[in-house]
Amino acid sequence: MAYRFWSEEWIREYQKMINSSEDYKKSGATWTAGAVCLVVSANPSVGFDKEVGIWLGLYKGVCEEIKTVTLEEAQKAPFVITGDYSRWKQVVLGQLDPIQGMMQGKLKLKGDLPTIVRYVKASQDLVKCASKVETQFVDE
Amino acid sequence: MGGYKNRILEVDLSIGKMDITDVSEDDKKRFIGGSGVSAKLFLDRFHIQSNALSPGNPLMIMNGPITGTNLPGTSRFVVCGKSVLTGIWGESACGGNFGPELKMAGWDGIILKGVSERPSFLLIEDSRCELHDASDLWGKDIYQVTDSLKARYKDGRQVKVFAIGKAGENLVKFAGIGNDKGDFAGRTGMGALMGSKKLKAVVVRGSGALEPALREEYSSLLKILIAEVKESIPARALREMGTDSGMDLGMMTNDVPIKYWISPQDFDLSFNLGGPALTEKYLTKVHSCYACPIACKRVVKVTDGPYKTEEGPGPEYETCCTFGTMIMNKDLAGVIKANELCNRAGLDTISCGAAIAFTYECYEKGIITQKDADGLELLWGDIEPALKLIEMIAERKGIGSILAEGTRGAAAKLGKGAEEFVVDVKGLDAPMHDPRGWHRMGLGYAVSTRGACHLQHMTLYVEQGMSAYPETGLETDYKGPQSEGKARMYLISENLGVPCNSACLCILVLGCLSASHFAEMLRVTTGWKNFDVEELLKSGQRINLLKRTINCLLGMKREDDRLPRRILTPLSSEGNAPNLDQMLKEYYNLRGLDEIGRPKRETLEKAGLSELISKLYLTGA
Repeated sequence: MAYRFWSEEWIREYQKMINSSEDYKKSGATWTAGAVCLVVSANPSVGFDKEVGIWLGLYKGVCEEIKTVTLEEAQKAPFVITGDYSRWKQVVLGQLDPIQGMMQGKLKLKGDLPTIVRYVKASQDLVKCASKVETQFVDE
Repeated sequence: MGGYKNRILEVDLSIGKMDITDVSEDDKKRFIGGSGVSAKLFLDRFHIQSNALSPGNPLMIMNGPITGTNLPGTSRFVVCGKSVLTGIWGESACGGNFGPELKMAGWDGIILKGVSERPSFLLIEDSRCELHDASDLWGKDIYQVTDSLKARYKDGRQVKVFAIGKAGENLVKFAGIGNDKGDFAGRTGMGALMGSKKLKAVVVRGSGALEPALREEYSSLLKILIAEVKESIPARALREMGTDSGMDLGMMTNDVPIKYWISPQDFDLSFNLGGPALTEKYLTKVHSCYACPIACKRVVKVTDGPYKTEEGPGPEYETCCTFGTMIMNKDLAGVIKANELCNRAGLDTISCGAAIAFTYECYEKGIITQKDADGLELLWGDIEPALKLIEMIAERKGIGSILAEGTRGAAAKLGKGAEEFVVDVKGLDAPMHDPRGWHRMGLGYAVSTRGACHLQHMTLYVEQGMSAYPETGLETDYKGPQSEGKARMYLISENLGVPCNSACLCILVLGCLSASHFAEMLRVTTGWKNFDVEELLKSGQRINLLKRTINCLLGMKREDDRLPRRILTPLSSEGNAPNLDQMLKEYYNLRGLDEIGRPKRETLEKAGLSELISKLYLTGA
């Protein structure tokens, strides 16, 4: 069953994928740096009238909490990665490495860069989990 | 024409004579400056077949037109000549503050010829240029000689020092030259060339200024560039963690060489040696080159333990590999110590570390014994013998004297199959980026005009997705372990990287900017009309062909555009290796080279280099 991108159903499925990933359990095992928030920029043409964030409550290789949040709430996370719809679609489809995306400015990072760099494998494992969710994209 | 001082100091060290020379405005525009202008001077005015250590081989210290402006990344200058290490065209760029100071003193560069009768140093204070006796400085390390000369000329504006250490004095083939302790012209053995001239240092103090040709546009561009650099994530990574910020990601993508290029990924190594570890454990402050908003230079201190150091310049990524991953050493304090020893002695940390890692493997294979190694037990993971080897190399003592010949030279002396596993191209040890993770880097190593090099082209940034230059025809996303389409991508990134070294722009800063920004930097500084990205890329083609022509005249042929066997062997059964034959064939076609590696006549004509045709084709090269 395909889930609509960034919907409540999609994020629940995403959490399941994260928590069933042996790779992430290992690469994120020492992560205690707090929540990571992924934010889609506003773009009404693809159904995002305003920014929408996904709050990932990550702790030691487990996603303890997942929820959609407003931009204001999202900014409270220690790590916020922001991009427009097309970039996140590329990430979820495995066409854009999130670290490369941040380096090229396609995704914007707020947060402690050395921590992100140290957990580069964990971030890639999180993306792999997202790409495992069967996704229905609004523009397809 | 802005940007230039239109004066190059020419010093004949044999007779102590000084002259002022220059190149034509046309040649400035064709070859920009830095290594481009140096290559033109080398070919036109010197007997290039001279032995690299002979008085006839010049040492050229050259600025680019943007050196010393306030634009970001304009601290750089370059040292050129025939390489003592490779016997072909040699060049090594350096950051810091020496180049801008030389420009402020009113000079675009210095050509040093001949050999001084006794150790000397050159003092430049604006137009006053003098040779002084340096007998009391000979034998001192770079930190000591820098402190000594700064103290001697302490009145007034601080002097900038560019000096060699014991390695340069002892003609170690990979000796470098240090600018104020923390910045080095490391590669291709330019320190040995300086040592062969009995020149210990160049000291400079300048009181002038540099006026760009188009002042208003320059000021607007400056604001834009600073904002761009500050916004850039690569700049942020460099500022927060230095060049070593890339090790963790590099380990993921098989970019980091391990155990002298033979072992696959080891995350324990990157965890202990990467940028975050360096920052958390040893960083005391950051330091920037002249006019740089990034400040990637690390200042570090090891406060206790066997590798205790004073506060001083910290290791770059390459050094964390050569004295870390390459010998399986996880102790970052040991790497910092190795860096300090190399800095003081004036040794290229890439070639020195590579030669030492190679020696560890020779020991493991039984090619050398503990007795051959002067009692040292060269065991993987142990930095201690590496630290002793650094000093033995600089002093040319024991086995250090063999390693001082460079890895290839040492392998030839050691025999017993050692030459089979040397990882170099044209005699220059490969830098710390594994082409098995990123194939285009392999092509870069094979064809770069100074031997295996990651800095004559923008490959590292483009192929790994850190930077994108769509206005040059490059795409934004490339797959690393794949050779298809890489030759065209390499050619464009080389055409962008080569003028970067001629303009003397920091390649790390270019990594945060666009090609259009770079072209604009040159246009507003020099006032060249209609200078744009197309002209920039054409200059890259032209300067590359000039340097290739020099190498052809020095005997380089297609078979020298190669990769070491080890790099052509996958790291594991799931791994792969660059398809060099395919990439090389495509590159030769795109660059306009003939079957033996020479630029074709029509290629030279089209690039505006007709004067090279007679040199290349009538000499039977």
